[in-house]
Amino acid sequence: MANWGNYFPNEDDVDEQDEEESGGDYKSSGRDSLVFLVDASKEMFIKGENGEPSNFDMTMQCVRSVYTSKIISSDRDLVALVFYGTEQSKNPRNSFKHVYVYHDLESPGAKRVQDIDKLKGDKGGQFAEKTMGSGETSLGEALWCCSNLYSDIKLRLSHKRLMIFTCRDEPHGGDSAKDRQARTKAADLKETGVAIDLMHLSKPGGFDVSLFFCDIVSPPEDESDLGLQIEPCRKLEDLQKRVRAKELKKRAQCRLTFSLGEGVDLAVGVYVLARTAMKPSAVKLYRDNNEPVRTKSRLFHTQTGGILLPNDTKRAQVYGQKQIVMEKDEVDEIKKFDDPGLVLIGFKPIDRLKLHHHLRPALFIYPEEEQISGSSCMFTALLLKCCEKNVFALCKYIPRRNTPPRFVALVPQREELDQSQTQATPPGFHVIYLPFADDIRTVDPHVGPTASDEQVDKMKEIVHKLRFKYRSDAFENPVLQQHYSNLEALALDMLSPEPIEDLTMPKVKMMDDRLGPLVQEFKDLVYPPDYNPEGKPAAKRKPAESGGGAAEKKAKVEISEEELKIHVAKGTLGKLTVPVLKDACKQFNIRTTGTKKQELIDALTMQLSK
Amino acid sequence: MARAAKSALVLCMDVGFSMSNSGPGQEPPFEQAKKVIQKFVQRQVFAENKDEIGLVLFGTDGTKNPLANDGQYENITVHRHLMIPDFELLEEIERELQPGGQQADWLDALVVCMDLLQNETMGKKYDRLNIALLTDLNIQTSEDQLDIIIQNLKKAGITLQFFLPFPVDVEDEAGGGGDAAGPSAPPSRPGKGLSRQQTQGLEMVKHIMSSLEDEDGLEEVYTFSDALEKLSIFKRIERRPMAWPCQLTIGSSLSIRIVGYKAVTEEKVKKSWTIVDAQSHQRDDVKRETVYCLNDDDETEVQKDDTIQGYRYGSDIVPFSKVDEEQMKYKHDGKCFSVLGFTKQELIPRHQFMGSQVVKVFAPRDDEHAAVALSSLIRALDGLKMAAIVRYAYDRRSNPQVGAAFPCIKKKYECLLYVQLPYMEDLRQFTFPMLENNKKFMPSGSQLSAVDALIDSMMLMEKDENGESVEIFKVNHIPNPQFQRLFQCLHHRGVNPDDPLPPVDPWLKRVLERPQAVSARCQAPLRDVKTSFPLKVVVKKKEQKTSADVFGSSADEPDAKKVKVNEETEFNLAEITEGNITSVGSVNPARDFCTLIRQKTVSFDQACQQLTHRIEQLLGNRSTEYYTKSIACIQAFRDQSVLSGNAELFNSYLQSLKRSIADRSLQDFWNLLAQDALTLISKDEVEASTISKQEANQFLSFEQKQEVEVAPAQDDTGDVDDLLDMM
Repeated sequence: MANWGNYFPNEDDVDEQDEEESGGDYKSSGRDSLVFLVDASKEMFIKGENGEPSNFDMTMQCVRSVYTSKIISSDRDLVALVFYGTEQSKNPRNSFKHVYVYHDLESPGAKRVQDIDKLKGDKGGQFAEKTMGSGETSLGEALWCCSNLYSDIKLRLSHKRLMIFTCRDEPHGGDSAKDRQARTKAADLKETGVAIDLMHLSKPGGFDVSLFFCDIVSPPEDESDLGLQIEPCRKLEDLQKRVRAKELKKRAQCRLTFSLGEGVDLAVGVYVLARTAMKPSAVKLYRDNNEPVRTKSRLFHTQTGGILLPNDTKRAQVYGQKQIVMEKDEVDEIKKFDDPGLVLIGFKPIDRLKLHHHLRPALFIYPEEEQISGSSCMFTALLLKCCEKNVFALCKYIPRRNTPPRFVALVPQREELDQSQTQATPPGFHVIYLPFADDIRTVDPHVGPTASDEQVDKMKEIVHKLRFKYRSDAFENPVLQQHYSNLEALALDMLSPEPIEDLTMPKVKMMDDRLGPLVQEFKDLVYPPDYNPEGKPAAKRKPAESGGGAAEKKAKVEISEEELKIHVAKGTLGKLTVPVLKDACKQFNIRTTGTKKQELIDALTMQLSK
Repeated sequence: MARAAKSALVLCMDVGFSMSNSGPGQEPPFEQAKKVIQKFVQRQVFAENKDEIGLVLFGTDGTKNPLANDGQYENITVHRHLMIPDFELLEEIERELQPGGQQADWLDALVVCMDLLQNETMGKKYDRLNIALLTDLNIQTSEDQLDIIIQNLKKAGITLQFFLPFPVDVEDEAGGGGDAAGPSAPPSRPGKGLSRQQTQGLEMVKHIMSSLEDEDGLEEVYTFSDALEKLSIFKRIERRPMAWPCQLTIGSSLSIRIVGYKAVTEEKVKKSWTIVDAQSHQRDDVKRETVYCLNDDDETEVQKDDTIQGYRYGSDIVPFSKVDEEQMKYKHDGKCFSVLGFTKQELIPRHQFMGSQVVKVFAPRDDEHAAVALSSLIRALDGLKMAAIVRYAYDRRSNPQVGAAFPCIKKKYECLLYVQLPYMEDLRQFTFPMLENNKKFMPSGSQLSAVDALIDSMMLMEKDENGESVEIFKVNHIPNPQFQRLFQCLHHRGVNPDDPLPPVDPWLKRVLERPQAVSARCQAPLRDVKTSFPLKVVVKKKEQKTSADVFGSSADEPDAKKVKVNEETEFNLAEITEGNITSVGSVNPARDFCTLIRQKTVSFDQACQQLTHRIEQLLGNRSTEYYTKSIACIQAFRDQSVLSGNAELFNSYLQSLKRSIADRSLQDFWNLLAQDALTLISKDEVEASTISKQEANQFLSFEQKQEVEVAPAQDDTGDVDDLLDMM
């Protein structure tokens, strides 16, 4: 983990910051909220046949799973846990009988997960009995209480959700007044934007939604009755899936003008659909009390000891052994070429977009009708025609002020729906960065013998045997998963972290079974019998190499003073390696702290220039 | 120019008096040659590679070189020995380079350069030794040593370049010679044409270059203006990628030895800016101090050793020391390039490539068996249009990646191209409204035709001589403008410390813009597009109405309005403020509620919901003022319910409210309510109501009766039973 930062040396940190800073003024902005409304009647605590856990126990497992997932994926979301049909009552202002608010709407934390753990298993059942017990049921009162939980929140809420867990399809036992009250209250909640979901649990003889709950729950998106008949086990399974990935709200990274020329301008928003997920940053804590500490950085003058303000400093670089000094403003000015925006250069056929011209993950643009009206129509026309003609747009892209330009390819993307008619891919243009001349490195190709048709055909058989259908969300990052598992174990005082499955490791045994004799057949065709691809180079080379290496090392260590002076005069000390420079410092009794190359060079230069 | 890792180069410049001659209106060759040298050294300084440069001047007044003796090799000065160029050299060229009053034989100068190169590179390893000779050839030259010189150049492996004031093919014009001078038009010659010495010198140059490099030799002869044009672009940052040896494994028993090279990656500026003191410009005068403070009032400082690392876990922060983290973290076996499986290339979306690089994978040199094995894989994948999904780990300390290896077959070589792919955690599932079947945004046929014509006119493809399509505006041929601009400014500031920064070079601006031919071609279609698509910048309204999605949020109303002066004024004020009311606020909820109902911006039910929320808030404060306000709300609620003929909501709410009075200690409030006779809505008022007038009256009066009596427990029970019976 210490080397995490080194893993992505070229990651653009500015982009990361910019994304966090930009506050898109979205209508759907705000916190997500989720209220678990759990039936605590006696029926919920009955154990299943064959010793299966009770409905209550199963519900607590689901709730815990959602809590721990939320903590990692969406730690700003608000979650609450409310029991109804209890003997005790506990809620704000205690207005509602037989309703027990176990957790009100708040961001979940470790303590709350541990609170849930108290309710699990046999001991959990006893704890629940002692804490709240089972009693009369009035779902209307419970729903009203939940409504108050929402309205008591000062924060702005975006998506509001209420999940009812129960195994009683007729909670009021035929009391029509209570039924009516509950229906009314549910309708009120739905009209204020709360989505009510029902997780009906197993009941002997089957759970009948039509008796009561079909009037309570929010209709499914497809408005069909089939949605209500989903097997309870499937819904529960979905809830129990552990999610250990940071969930991000949809927000434009920036909003830009897209200029076609001659004053034809559209407005587009730039979105990030894929970006490398990083481990969250660590927080510094005071050892004694585990309170967070704040970091303060100051510049001060080593001679006078005074504080240096920004205008007391300048920026400098050294080229050709000469220091070149600039003002901070000038450093920024150097990077400014134009105002931010996308400027159309022209179009090219899609097949001219080279696969290996890849610099960084792509972005996505979508029209911003609210900035420039008519943008969506223009954008759609461009999108349709680019798809039809199979071309991409080549643009100059400046995302922010004082940022140098880059060229990007806008690749058209039509909307794609999946089997359930849900949007799998949104419509818009993918923004693919293109490399400059400096970004293409000179690689001397290795030219070797090519394979015969027979050898290629054998390899094709191997490829066929190991064929699979790739999906981009099929692999989890084992480093992230392990980190979150470790963190959870520490936070919840678990004995050891939950083991993770490393999906990036090849399933060697399965592959070997599938390939069977093909591998040996291929090796017989390609490799001579004594060839070992995993071994070291041929033995015959060893004596010469090792001898040469030894001689070379000795020669390096004993670099002469005269040669050193020549290097100093020529300014070529940088060509020597760190070990050689270290030995040279020892040779001339030069004391140096640290092992940085530049320090060694500076010390040697100073010594030998006298 | 230098292309290998390390080169040695001697610049050999003629400063003889003939170099100062110029025709009318022309710049002297001396000045041009000086600029060429400046540009060249400048590029070397900012490229920061390991090339070494020496500078030899001939035609100088003095003589200073190792070969000078007995009157030979005179007027030749070694100005600088081979060393990595620095700014001092640039400054010397700027200030100290002056025309001399003598002439010297350029062949003699060439020999001095050869001697310099050989002596100072002896025993070291260079990829290239080069001499660049800048002269006007206007001197009598002795040819007796020419063949020996050519042989020595070949033997020493020294390459040679000439920079002249005139093109080399001037004499061949009559004979229709090849175009060896370069793309741009040759500069005009000195007025009188070439002198006899120059003609002779030119023949010798041709002879030398042909001998050294056969037919291509003359391509290394440049004019000053050609060179200046090419040298204006700073040397692009070049880095030779390091070899990364590994084994490509398929299953447990098939291994292919490979070597990877980083082929495409975003190049960064090598140096970062350091902070220096504004007065002294000394870096050591500036020191950064970091302190850690607690969050208490005193901002108590703590030592770094007293801090520990933690991570946020929901609303908590969990201590997680670096030692624990190191011990518990994911570990793997190290470097690897293991095939997980194979898949169709089309299943890997181009826009989901991750990472910051492309790695080219070859078989190692001199390993024919690995080459054949890898070639089998590359050709198999190419034939099947598939790619390998691979687990890639650079080394033991790196985190593993999942990526794709695509086959790549060129004329001269074959390789795999590796690109990183996303993990599940990297993907973001955003949905956007549809565009195509959206009636609001669907473009018309004429609009589509206009865009069609625009695209055709803006294609960046042209026909070549053979009629084939050729791509113009190749981005990978453009130098990174950030570097060019940075080096331009650094050089300018380095040479002129007190001047402001120069404007962006015109060539750099031009290279970043649409080609002029394309701009001309697309002008008319763009005007058509502009006509077809109305595009108007939207001026943002100061107060946007919130949509149903944020219905739950209550915005605070502005300060209370003025008290009404007369009815007419009140009406005007009400009309003005109505447009701004989007929800039931806290200042005057009753009025807001009535306004919402009248405007119909939200449904009746929603407005009632907001109002009841506000009432609940007000009742949370037990004071007469808030009770009075609540009663006003309830009155408005009742009035609007009667008007709209919807009694259910009000009656339901009032009944619930009554039930909660005892628990919430709101008896005083209920008394006020009873005084105002705010009872249930009866059938007499709203036909659909299920409450009779008698029931409505008793609803409040029953409560009054309760208040009068001193209540024994027995009587209370009886009252509750009676109430239930009536309902």
